[in-house]
Amino acid sequence: MKASRWSARKRQEWATAYAFLLPDTVGLFVFVFLPILYAFYVSLHRWNAFSPRAFIGLDNYAALLADDRWWHSLGRTFLFSAVYVPLLFVLALGAAVMVNALGKKTANAVRTMILMPFAITSVISAIIGVFLLDPRTGLINQLFRQIGWPAQQFLGSPSQALYCIVAVLLWINLGYNMVIFLASIKEIPRDYYEAANLDGASGWQAFRYITFPLLRGTSTFILIVTLIGSFQVLDQIMVMTKGGPVNSTQVSAYYIYKVAFEQMNMGYSSALAFALFIIIFVLSLVQLKLLTRE
Amino acid sequence: MKRYTKWILPAAAVMLGLLMIFPLYTLVAGSLRSETNVFDGSLIPKDWLFDNYRIAVEQSGIVRSIGNSLIVSGTVTVVAMLFHSMAGYALARFRFPGQQVIFSWMLSTLMVPFAVIMLPLYLIVRELGMLNSYAGLIVPALFNAYGIFLFRQFYREFPKELEEAAYMEGLSLARTYFSIALPLSGPIIVPLTIGFFIANWNSYIWPLIITQDDRLWVIQVQLANLVGSGHFTPWNILLAAAVLAAIPTFILFFMAQRHLVEGIKMSGIK
Repeated sequence: MKASRWSARKRQEWATAYAFLLPDTVGLFVFVFLPILYAFYVSLHRWNAFSPRAFIGLDNYAALLADDRWWHSLGRTFLFSAVYVPLLFVLALGAAVMVNALGKKTANAVRTMILMPFAITSVISAIIGVFLLDPRTGLINQLFRQIGWPAQQFLGSPSQALYCIVAVLLWINLGYNMVIFLASIKEIPRDYYEAANLDGASGWQAFRYITFPLLRGTSTFILIVTLIGSFQVLDQIMVMTKGGPVNSTQVSAYYIYKVAFEQMNMGYSSALAFALFIIIFVLSLVQLKLLTRE
Repeated sequence: MKRYTKWILPAAAVMLGLLMIFPLYTLVAGSLRSETNVFDGSLIPKDWLFDNYRIAVEQSGIVRSIGNSLIVSGTVTVVAMLFHSMAGYALARFRFPGQQVIFSWMLSTLMVPFAVIMLPLYLIVRELGMLNSYAGLIVPALFNAYGIFLFRQFYREFPKELEEAAYMEGLSLARTYFSIALPLSGPIIVPLTIGFFIANWNSYIWPLIITQDDRLWVIQVQLANLVGSGHFTPWNILLAAAVLAAIPTFILFFMAQRHLVEGIKMSGIK
């Protein structure tokens, strides 16, 4: 009696579990997992606006190795990440430490102000970016003129446009990352700082030997998420520069988009996308390894 | 030292805060200027043209696209909450063959970047006949292993006693979930709802790719089109449209900042 009741419960448990998991499992399979497999499959084919799908093995990957625009786009992507990721990390951590040191009322007000840009969308942030940083009409150049500084080319300049995109992304993402740091800082026991204070440690030493080491887990998380995200920035680039001027903001994600949806070259775009996937994957593994090393 | 913490640090912090909201201020101020003054570089608008908002509503097509965004983001959020809650509950509460494999596989989908799958996803959605439709906007956006993971964490720490009692009373396991666990899931549903809604309201590339028909455009696509399109939209009207488009997420921000911050913290805890 008891045994059969138990197995009836077990059968019900299995059936309920599979039924509950069914929608998400099917959905994740069709709309996330399958596309990655499909990307690889399509990348082995010549398939564009002019020719039907035909198997060509690894030819698209050979073409990719010889494609200057692909290497250029990777270079722009790496440059973007190399500037954006460390800056965001340092600024978010700095802002969190600063807000943490404030009195409660000021801290809340400042946190709200820093987090506020997070409430607008990436397209709106890009619109503001153009409004402020347009070389001719941009508001920042108007302000520069009023205080007698030389006007800058900003989005019109091949050497400055990428940094303008970095600035917009820093602006909208600073608050989010600061809040994550702030939450971890709050979990550090106050006694540590009191002990350090008694030992005569300076504020910097307390940060260097208490706060920073204890934030290792959070720092790892933020660096990995930011790095992976930085390889996929598309919205702002589409609205602010469309890859220009002179391809200076044509990062890999945007190049893949162009080859797929403007040149309608599905096979080649898939090869590029798959290559980017491998790069992101390897980079995040390496970074995880480096940052979790004791 | 005392003076440093009392005055200099708060002053610097407030300066940073003001710097962060300055671009938002220029957006709102610009939306109130006349077309000729929109770039004049003065800090306070001279014109106060609230009429810009009427023009934006009447001429820019944003009313329909805000409606589309509300439909899409709202539906995605509600359905995703249900699916992810069910999946997270099953993974946290039940023991069944394949449990660990399914969970690990779900987490592995988090490593798939959207920029990499946008083309194959487009091809699959086209095969399914969902191009240019609400289904195409909504269905692919539903599935997100992160939501499942966070629900699972929540239910792992959820006390079992109530559900055990209900089961002893003769309720089925499914009924127990719907009548007891789900209604008590507010602490996880509220921050996730805000997070999912904002994320979907923000969505731009995917809707751009799969909707050719401008009657299906969501607000982000509409706004981007106003910036870059052939037909010229004056900047003051464009800024007014952008302000209107920002209102829903700003309402969420100010009404539920505590939950928003809670949600951000959850996303940062591994």
